[in-house]
Amino acid sequence: MLKRITLPVAEIVNENETIRTFYFEKKLGALPGQFIMLSDLVTGEKPFSISECESGYFGVTIKKLGTFTQALFEKKPGDLLSYRGAYGSSFSISGRNVLLVGGGYATPPLYYLSKELLKAGAELTVVNGARSKKELVFCERFSNLSLSYQRITDAGCLGRAGSSVDIAQVLLEENHYDMVYVSGPELMMRAMRNLLQNYPELNYEFLFERYMKCAIGICGNCTIDPLGIRLCVEGPVLARDKIVQLTEFGEYHRNAAGIKEYF
Amino acid sequence: MKNDRSRISVEFLGKRAATPLVLPAGIMGMTWSGMKYTWENGCGIITSKSLTMEPRKGHAGPVIAEFEGGMLNCMGLCNPGIEEGLAEVNEFRKFYEVPVIVSIFATTIDDFLTLTQKVNESRGDFVELNLSCPNVSDEYGLPLAASKIKVAEIVSAVKMVSKIPVIAKLSPNVSGLTEICTAAEAAGADALCLINTLGPGMLIDIDLQRSVLSNRTGGMSGPCVKPVALRAVFEAYSRVKIPIIGTGGVSNGRDAVEMLMAGASLVGVGSALYEGGIGIFEQINQDILTYMDQYGYGTITDIPRLEKM
Ligand SMILES: Cc1cc2nc3c(=O)[nH]c(=O)nc-3n(C[C@H](O)[C@H](O)[C@H](O)COP(=O)(O)OP(=O)(O)OC[C@H]3O[C@@H](n4cnc5c(N)ncnc54)[C@H](O)[C@@H]3O)c2cc1C
Ligand SMILES: Cc1cc2nc3c(=O)[nH]c(=O)nc-3n(C[C@H](O)[C@H](O)[C@H](O)COP(=O)(O)O)c2cc1C
Ligand code: FES
Repeated sequence: MLKRITLPVAEIVNENETIRTFYFEKKLGALPGQFIMLSDLVTGEKPFSISECESGYFGVTIKKLGTFTQALFEKKPGDLLSYRGAYGSSFSISGRNVLLVGGGYATPPLYYLSKELLKAGAELTVVNGARSKKELVFCERFSNLSLSYQRITDAGCLGRAGSSVDIAQVLLEENHYDMVYVSGPELMMRAMRNLLQNYPELNYEFLFERYMKCAIGICGNCTIDPLGIRLCVEGPVLARDKIVQLTEFGEYHRNAAGIKEYF
Repeated sequence: MKNDRSRISVEFLGKRAATPLVLPAGIMGMTWSGMKYTWENGCGIITSKSLTMEPRKGHAGPVIAEFEGGMLNCMGLCNPGIEEGLAEVNEFRKFYEVPVIVSIFATTIDDFLTLTQKVNESRGDFVELNLSCPNVSDEYGLPLAASKIKVAEIVSAVKMVSKIPVIAKLSPNVSGLTEICTAAEAAGADALCLINTLGPGMLIDIDLQRSVLSNRTGGMSGPCVKPVALRAVFEAYSRVKIPIIGTGGVSNGRDAVEMLMAGASLVGVGSALYEGGIGIFEQINQDILTYMDQYGYGTITDIPRLEKM
């Protein structure tokens, strides 16, 4: 049985006005792409991807959105939070020449993945996209790794305007990659899937988000059509063979009541 | 012979289930594809999430708390409401010849009747009355299953309008369970489902000094409830003639055989999906077959039941 662990927040780093990384001093033993269920035991309990994971600590990078994340943003180092996990499938550590494409607050889990891929000796190109320069996160962390790093914003404040998919398109044309990892907003990921149709030999893995409650594979809230697999167990990381079959991807997701909401 | 799945196929209220395993209400039955996935992995009958008149988001998290021997849940009857919920059932049933139990929850007879009429129009094969959810008592008071009079009233009213067989899902958290079972049978129930979650129970986080579950308490399921479920099924089996879906804490093939011996016709497997993974259903099917081979039983109905009380 996986146990719940309650411990003080060790450190909180402001990434920007609405994104913070919460660090905990605990060996988590999670793999890249996995997530924890984090709670204050007052406001709620929600899933967050691991953005950093070393032997003595781990971090989750959180965007302030609604009731629960707002409550988290009131927390100071030393305040207690409770988590269970890590849960879910992980990114495979494979490929020699690898492209990673991230968008917005979903980019940080690719940082933990990058570190593991570098350890395995892969060559990496990371594309980090966001709406504006302020919303680009983890730039310094990525720049400190030995990889090729490109940033882009919709607004074009870094020289060129566009999305991470635009950059990925150029990179895919000019280079030969043997693996692509994507984590971003669903419509961006759908654009990536469409782009990757042109590369039938290329393997890829995406990190998905669906409404999660139990996170242990029993409630069925996070299943995805038409496969019915649970994104908290068989996901959140899915590989190409599964992704190409998904009919709900980029079309709709189900909310807390299980009602379809269209993108 | 060993892998001949037809040996464990069961006839239940006029429908054929490929295996004796039932996916109980509230487990994976939120979406049509979730139903498909569990059926592909060895469930014989699928129960939908308990559907209500209006959609419900359920309680805030944590809605699950694990402990040695099982888990507590206070999902709070989250469901998309009867219309959307039946759309999921129809979508599944349109493509798959697999019996589906539509679970419904209400607090008044009128609402139960409205829900039943909607189920009549759907592709659902059976309707199950959830008279026993322990997680909404702050909203609705004691579960209906606590009163044999209310159980009888609702079952007989639903029987008047339902075009499909009616299953009463009862609570172990009552006194005089056997009287409640016989009252449901006398009112016309076609089958019983025993048990819903036990308790409710509570767990406390001593660091944050708060209850772990957002709703403070939650229904207990998993291995620790099996002895109670077996007792409840056996007592009911001793007193009623209608078939029983024995649910509660079944985690392996031997547990399933115990449930059959206690008098169940079908066996629910819910919480075991957590520890056992999606392969648990097929594993249990195979283990039942192995047991049958060991004692020379040709078909699952050859497995003897205990002598009635
Ligand atoms: C596998 C996974 C990994 C995630 N990783 C991160 C991460 O690293 N950083 C981050 O900031 N966010 C992450 N999220 C999203 C995060 O869980 C939501 O932003 C958070 O739950 C919002 O809660 P809220 O109460 O503040 O906002 P709300 O107002 O309740 O919701 C805002 C948005 O978050 C979504 N959401 C709300 N509750 C849940 C839930 N229980 N499960 C899934 N989505 C929910 C809603 O669909 C809505 O679009 C992840 C989600 C999943 C499923
Ligand atoms: C997360 C969860 C949700 C449940 N939701 C429902 C429900 O909506 N309706 C219902 O009748 N029973 C519900 N139950 C009870 C189960 O159907 C079952 O009776 C109980 O869990 C015992 O079986 P198990 O030990 O195999 O899980 C739920 C149980 C769990 C664990
Ligand atoms: S969140 Fe319950 S099955 Fe995934």
